[in-house]
Amino acid sequence: MDEHIEELLPFYALDALTDEERELVEAYLVSHPEARQQVEEMMSSASALPYGVSPVDPSPRAKQALMKRVAADADARARSSKREQTSLPRENRLMNLFPAFSLGVAVVAIVWVVMLNIQLSQLRNQVASLSNALVAQAISLEQINAKLPQTPSSAVVTISLRGTTSRPQAQGQLIVDPNSSSAVLVIAGLEPLESNRIYQAWLIRDNTPVSAGLLTVDANGQGVLLVNSETTIGSFSALGISIEPEGGSQQPTGDIVVLSDL
Amino acid sequence: MMNKRGLLRSSIGAPYDESNDEAVAARVARGDTVALEALYDRYASTVLGISLKILGDRTAAEDVLQETFWRVWRSAASYQPQRGSFTGWLFRIARNLAIDGYRRTNARPQMMFDGDDADTTLDQIPDPDADVAEQTQALLKHRQVLTALASLPRAQRQVIEMAYFYGMTRQEIAETMGEALGTIHTRARLALQKLREELEREEFEG
Repeated sequence: MDEHIEELLPFYALDALTDEERELVEAYLVSHPEARQQVEEMMSSASALPYGVSPVDPSPRAKQALMKRVAADADARARSSKREQTSLPRENRLMNLFPAFSLGVAVVAIVWVVMLNIQLSQLRNQVASLSNALVAQAISLEQINAKLPQTPSSAVVTISLRGTTSRPQAQGQLIVDPNSSSAVLVIAGLEPLESNRIYQAWLIRDNTPVSAGLLTVDANGQGVLLVNSETTIGSFSALGISIEPEGGSQQPTGDIVVLSDL
Repeated sequence: MMNKRGLLRSSIGAPYDESNDEAVAARVARGDTVALEALYDRYASTVLGISLKILGDRTAAEDVLQETFWRVWRSAASYQPQRGSFTGWLFRIARNLAIDGYRRTNARPQMMFDGDDADTTLDQIPDPDADVAEQTQALLKHRQVLTALASLPRAQRQVIEMAYFYGMTRQEIAETMGEALGTIHTRARLALQKLREELEREEFEG
């Protein structure tokens, strides 16, 4: 027990201590329940002291002045509250626009994704088509390779082929053993033809064309033809490609798109 | 005009029990002017009595009365029932405002008793709007406390009056009474103990 602080307890109950003394007492009360009990009892006595004063009825004017001031304050609070409420719908409207805006963004995003998927699908189709073409060419090359061992590799030559003035972009190669009756024609740069027309290769000897086979090109303008002849390829002086009706012709009848010396 | 007893019709909500000061104060905190008026009618005379006792000037005391209830109106939300009764909070506001005014004017304290006889003079002009039941209740409490105080030695009464009503420090009281500080401590403790015993005998309910 701290006698100094115990002396302060009645004045704490009477609310007559300095701030420092009050803090000292309150800290003391935390750890001294018996002192706390004393203070509660003394505070109970002190709280009765206001009733010891003779009550004095205030003038009606005092109440009127107070309530007038309070009413004005209450009105101000109500107006302030109303302003907040009226400003709220504006905020609400903005808040309502937000979901609509979000929905619009979502729709645009969905459309964009769908368009991307369509484009992706188209690209996949093109890739698949190219893959198929590559597979077809690979098969053709395998067929060619299967025949190539029949000829001595040392005799095989590659002859470049060029387009005519009407198809300057066309170019190709003829892989051939001049002493053989077979050759491989690889061509590129020719446009795909309508279904009722077809490319036809010609081996030319003494200005007389002999059909070397019908040739189709893919969407990329590429084509491969395995040429078979009754005589050796080396006996021909030139190779040409013309556009002929479906099924081919006995003699070239249409545009000549490739013509090269052998 | 509001109902003075029983259920009180609130200005902002459902009726509530006005007999519970803390419940009424909670309504004031929500901006209920009717609730504030109820508290004013119940305690204005006591608050004015405290102010007038400390200040000794009716006009200044009524200013403190208005300021006290204005602060209740503005600060009711800060009142915490778990830390004490509403009347304890209310009277402390009035007391502090009056003591501030007293210190500004440096008026001479007027003791509750100049002699050993209790001051039972009831010379106030009745407020025609005042509730008779509440007036009777306030006067009953006043008489009970006066009776209890009358049982204390004058020196003990003066110590607690100086401390409570005028906010005088222990040293100031000792200096004013020309007594040792230890004597003031003893008088204060004995006064509060005795007062408690007498209030219990009077069956006082704060």
